[in-house]
Amino acid sequence: MSDAVTSAGSIASTMDFHPQPRGGAPKPWAFPAPERSQLPNGLTLLTSHRPGQQVVAVEINLVAPLEAEPEGLDGVATIMARALSEGTDKHTAEEFAAELERCGATLDAHADHPGLRVSLEVPASRLARALGLLADALRAPAFPVSEVERLVRNRLDEIPHELANPARRAAMALSKELFPGTSRMSRPRQGTEETVERIDAAAVRAFYDAHVRPATATAVVVGDFAGVDLDAALADTLGAWTGSTAEPVKASPIIADDAGRVVIVDRPGAVQTQLLIGRIGADRHDRVWPAQVLGTYCLGGTLTSRLDRVLREEKGYTYGVRAFGQVLRSSADGSGAAMLAISGSVDTASTGPALEDLWKVLRTLADEGLTDAERDVAVQNLVGVAPLKYETAAAVAGTLADQVEQHLPDDFQAQLYARLAETGTVEATAAAVNAFPVDRLVTVLVGDAAQIAGPVRELGIGEVTVVSG
Amino acid sequence: MPMGHTATEQAGSGGLTATEHRLANGLRVVLSEDHLTPVAAVCLWYDVGSRHEVKGRTGLAHLFEHLMFQGSAQVKGNGHFELVQGAGGSLNGTTSFERTNYFETMPAHELELALWLEADRMGSLLTALDDESLENQRDVVKNERRQRYDNVPYGTAFEKLTAMAYPEGHPYHHTPIGSMADLDAASLEDARAFFRTYYAPNNAVLSIVGDIDPEQTLAWVEKYFGSIPAHDGKQPPRDGTLPDIMGGELREVVEEEVPSRALMAAYRLPHDGTREADAADLALTVLGGGESSRLYNRLVRRDRSAVAAGFGLLRLAGAPSLGWLDVKTSGGVEVPAIESAVDEELARFAAEGPTPEEMERAQAQLEREWLDRLATVSGRADELCRFAVLFGDPQLALTAVRRVLEITPQEVQAVAQARLRPDNRAVLVYEPTEPNEPTDAAAGTEEEEAAL
Repeated sequence: MSDAVTSAGSIASTMDFHPQPRGGAPKPWAFPAPERSQLPNGLTLLTSHRPGQQVVAVEINLVAPLEAEPEGLDGVATIMARALSEGTDKHTAEEFAAELERCGATLDAHADHPGLRVSLEVPASRLARALGLLADALRAPAFPVSEVERLVRNRLDEIPHELANPARRAAMALSKELFPGTSRMSRPRQGTEETVERIDAAAVRAFYDAHVRPATATAVVVGDFAGVDLDAALADTLGAWTGSTAEPVKASPIIADDAGRVVIVDRPGAVQTQLLIGRIGADRHDRVWPAQVLGTYCLGGTLTSRLDRVLREEKGYTYGVRAFGQVLRSSADGSGAAMLAISGSVDTASTGPALEDLWKVLRTLADEGLTDAERDVAVQNLVGVAPLKYETAAAVAGTLADQVEQHLPDDFQAQLYARLAETGTVEATAAAVNAFPVDRLVTVLVGDAAQIAGPVRELGIGEVTVVSG
Repeated sequence: MPMGHTATEQAGSGGLTATEHRLANGLRVVLSEDHLTPVAAVCLWYDVGSRHEVKGRTGLAHLFEHLMFQGSAQVKGNGHFELVQGAGGSLNGTTSFERTNYFETMPAHELELALWLEADRMGSLLTALDDESLENQRDVVKNERRQRYDNVPYGTAFEKLTAMAYPEGHPYHHTPIGSMADLDAASLEDARAFFRTYYAPNNAVLSIVGDIDPEQTLAWVEKYFGSIPAHDGKQPPRDGTLPDIMGGELREVVEEEVPSRALMAAYRLPHDGTREADAADLALTVLGGGESSRLYNRLVRRDRSAVAAGFGLLRLAGAPSLGWLDVKTSGGVEVPAIESAVDEELARFAAEGPTPEEMERAQAQLEREWLDRLATVSGRADELCRFAVLFGDPQLALTAVRRVLEITPQEVQAVAQARLRPDNRAVLVYEPTEPNEPTDAAAGTEEEEAAL
């Protein structure tokens, strides 16, 4: 010890210390307001010019929700999303991939509860060419029988990898537990082995015909457009897409059973337990959303939030535990919902003590509330990071497309910052406590049941059932 | 006062410029102005990584990186995180084989705070470092290891392949996460000695990029960092020199509870910073980058023997780089079928070289990846530090993409011929065991499998 004092002292004495600086005056920044228009084919268009962003991001929203998948064909939306880039009326699958990469582009498509998203990123210098390929994929996908067969087999091969991943396995178990078996939300987004193997090119084509058309689609385009004739490029490409004007499908309400209980997915010998503790709650159309964002951040948004202050920085049980709210589906009529959850992993031996501490953190929050200082820091962070968070075209495009998908106005994110700044400590506390009530949480643990079931039963956080991994 | 010079903007630099300065204590500073968004990135690279660790203390550089967030003379406990996040900034630190970096991205008006915080821990960390934070972060890092490596399928593949690709005793033989036993063995005195040896201003490069006033920024850097004394305790890392070619295939078969068979391999490739490394990057992109690559077309599209197949490049400056092959098999396909297809494709590529279309695609892909890294101030700050620390010249960051675009098909073919050969790789094969089967039941067969 004395060595430490001497050496530390000698270093400290040789550096000049200065008081902590105070920040200067903030420079104005606002979340970009996109320009909204419509192409003659009915495609809605949102564009935003971001100087300096040489990689342009394009997001396409298609109203093809998972709920619309035919009975017994879970996963057809996913296979269709992937098949969009497996050949068109102009290119074979291999040629299409080669042409995209020749543009230096990436193209990803994935299907989720509210609909399908296709994301293109490409250097601005090659935007027009890449938009042509994207438009071909949407307008005239070939869906070749043999390529669809390959995608189905590939998807079947992926399933065991997902089941082996503790975080993915926990998410599947929580959905199964929360939602009634009749709800599409109770089942894996990309289908199960049983449903995927039934999918063929005809089913993919039928799903495409029923749900993919420009009149119900939106394109978000963000980046540096200097030197790009964007209007002409869009007219020549996405403007050439045609389709019926049928109305999009209507969503059904989301219901969930959040009675407090515990499901252990057994993984004998696992060195850690994956935790996922959740329920459903308010989405972005609810007035409480800003307060819920704030309260959830204070609970578990970062390593200085309440959960990690105890579980990581005091006890060392984990590399990190986070609380979050993730919109499942959102609409103006109030039928939507967000998944509210706490997730992380802890070493096997610490599972019982970590859960006990986690519940203690929730109870203390309910009993004593948040402090003004916590609320202030959270607001400063959530509002202050906006210019950092939205530096890239892809980040801006992603949020604009989320707003479209969730039936929110184009200035939702911009307004959210003002609403966060107006939200007080009392409202944030109430929202966090309502979001994570101690007796209405479904706990999924992926871990070694022989070691963790006993300690977890003793906690009294709900009935414990064990299922095989 | 710091001395500096301004580089002229060079063709192919995407409009970026950077100026260089050096404080009297040896701290190198790189500034790059960009006023498009009111943000500023601070990036600090210390020239120390896991290659500087000694036997019995693997993982120390990374564990130490965690301790850098546990407070210093004027910053209490988690204050570094609290202050940056409270100012609307984001931050982190990472440790690799060759360096440790710390970075903050701040709203432009809070830049000074980030500089004050970095200087405080560079100059006074040891006044706050104690047993309590060491014990706590030791547990956190052990849980990081479990979460990222030990509790996920194939999680230790990187560690196993690295250990084969770099022989016992080589500074890159072990990975930055370290072993559980060594993490347990690390003492407070180890951490103190590590700081005194490597955390000196003359062993670091500080880059600041974004909406900054260069004169004001330099004055702040001088004010906060200028009085931190230089010191020269640093030991150079052990020599990482190896022959160009391994000279024979190394192989390990792992029997574990994984979801499918897998073939992974690490090829020994040229050092980062050379034209040959850029040529290798293009070769691996043609062979296994994206969904129009030769291996993807062969294994995933045509043979339908793999669920995923790709090649990646781990660029290293102080030792040979590694070309990283990863193939997960489809259904009941056996590894030898995959392996012979891979060997065929590599041999054909070495014999024919890339087509003009393949060169165009690979260069377009690498150009976009580079533009992605430059799309944020933090990405630019990190690249400037990288070229300053590893190659002595931050200006090289501004022309990196141009160098990749200048590589010829002949150079790509040459590196494939010389390096992408069976006698220049370490191979790791995964054979799944049934769930719940005791893992040591497989141990007896390992040697036998490896002899194949």
